[in-house]
Amino acid sequence: MNPRVLIVDDEPPARERLRRLLEEHGGVDIAGEAANGEQAVRLAGDLKPDLVLLDVRMPGMNGLEAARHLALFDAPPAVVFTTAYDAYAVEAFEAQAIGYLLKPVRAEKLAAALQRAARLAESTLARVAAGDPARAPRTHVAARLGDAVRLIPLPEIYYFAADQKYTTVRHRGGADLIEDSLRALEEEFPAQFVRVHRNALVAIHSLAAIERDVEGQYRVVLRDIGERLDVSRRLAGELKERFRL
Amino acid sequence: MPVEYRAERHALNLPDFCAAQAVLAVVLIVTLTAVVLTVAHQGNGFNFWLDLARTSLFMLWTGMGSAAVLCVLRARLARMPLAAASALALASMLAVIALVSWGTLWLGSSSLLGPRATNLLLPESPWRFFATNLAIGAIVDALALRYFYVTSEWRRNVELQARARVRALQARIRPHFLFNSMNTIAALTRSDAKRAEQAVEDLADLFRANLNEKRSSITLKEELEVARIYQRIEQLRLGERLHVIWDVADLPMRAMVPGLLMQPLLENAIYHGIEPRPAGGIVTVSGALDGDVIGLTVRNPLPEAGEEAHSGNRIALDNIRERMELLYPGRSSVEASRIGDEYIVRLRFPYVEDSERASSL
Repeated sequence: MNPRVLIVDDEPPARERLRRLLEEHGGVDIAGEAANGEQAVRLAGDLKPDLVLLDVRMPGMNGLEAARHLALFDAPPAVVFTTAYDAYAVEAFEAQAIGYLLKPVRAEKLAAALQRAARLAESTLARVAAGDPARAPRTHVAARLGDAVRLIPLPEIYYFAADQKYTTVRHRGGADLIEDSLRALEEEFPAQFVRVHRNALVAIHSLAAIERDVEGQYRVVLRDIGERLDVSRRLAGELKERFRL
Repeated sequence: MPVEYRAERHALNLPDFCAAQAVLAVVLIVTLTAVVLTVAHQGNGFNFWLDLARTSLFMLWTGMGSAAVLCVLRARLARMPLAAASALALASMLAVIALVSWGTLWLGSSSLLGPRATNLLLPESPWRFFATNLAIGAIVDALALRYFYVTSEWRRNVELQARARVRALQARIRPHFLFNSMNTIAALTRSDAKRAEQAVEDLADLFRANLNEKRSSITLKEELEVARIYQRIEQLRLGERLHVIWDVADLPMRAMVPGLLMQPLLENAIYHGIEPRPAGGIVTVSGALDGDVIGLTVRNPLPEAGEEAHSGNRIALDNIRERMELLYPGRSSVEASRIGDEYIVRLRFPYVEDSERASSL
């Protein structure tokens, strides 16, 4: 059976060209096309491609972030990045031995990439993303669902809570377990989330109030869902001042 | 949060009279002037050396005093409007002259220095002494101020021109755009040869416009055409996501404008406003003639929260501002502001038809 390829690029002519080059190359089936990272991750869950040709620069979720989410699949597809001009990305791909193609893509380079295409580890991609001078935080966090992932958009998240080993993300659609540590999340999203306790990171937009019970324990009240989370004594004053609670 | 960009205004930028070099220059100029004045006096039977000593002593005091005052006022003068700054500088230098003249009269009338010195220092008529000193001072100081102003303007123009050239190089078409366009053309060559052909022609025209170093200004019609060509290329790539509304029918198409005025603005609007948005958006280009001032406006949606905009918008704006300032000194403005969820760039510059007048600096 031929390997199945998912083409991801925000520009229709670019997708069209890759499709044609793949058809002419032969020996592969085109599973589908996606116009941005989010679509790519969702389609990859449905279509189970063996290989994803992934544009680096796309609106919304970019290629690098999409690849990180794809890497969480139980059987992640191989990824080859495509880029028109990204001096930084190309350097990082070279350094991490990640496959990439420069646009306009040459047929023979595509053929070579198809042969060498490899699965990428999330940790490798996270390293690449962390070194990006124009670093943008991810637009989604992803929870593993076996052979797919659930994408949770950042604005829908109320808080992250850490258990012994796991991080729970509480969001509009419920709660899911994710693999990111609280510390990593705190570093990645300093503008959106704030630490309230050793084991909790709360979305700034859902901070409603801080209250104190009869035993002197501070708690933060969350907007919309009305849940309460413990606040450490040390951070209570800081939070009150910073967010005028 | 509105971000204001204003054309640099004209100011009185004096040399730093606190610096040793400037003080030395003042001493030299003052001494030479004293020699000139003394030589001009000759023939009245005066003792040349005594006369020179007296004149240069007086002038050194006024010269150093004026330098000291300008040294103190320098920063403030540079911030004031040109006319007020010139008036203040002149007035303070005349005050120094009046003060030194008064001091000379006081010294002369006192018996501190003995009768010989008194004869030397005391002019026959104190009022004439004041009037002569102030008249000479006013003329010399006004000339000096004019000289400083002209040299600083000249230096500023040279700097602006040099910077504008450097910036023009930096503001050239983004490499990303070039490679993406090549990719689009590669795709079209098979699927739609006709459009591929037009895209190659468009790209050639766009580069020709970008490489055009010689002509600093072109007609508005030509400039809008370059912007439209740019839009056509982007349209192939972005398809449905890009909508551009042109509301420029009221503009005088024969007006002369600096080349690459609109295209970089449109490029910015697309790069910062449309590309980061998955759903795309609308860019509006509008223009109007208000008396003899042309107003051009480009507006684009801001990226939605969480979709970070690309950085580097200011280079193009600064570049346009500098080139307009060279072409229409003090009569143009470039403003960028964020209003609601829109980013708006407004240009205003005088309507000039004659290419000679517009391209001469």
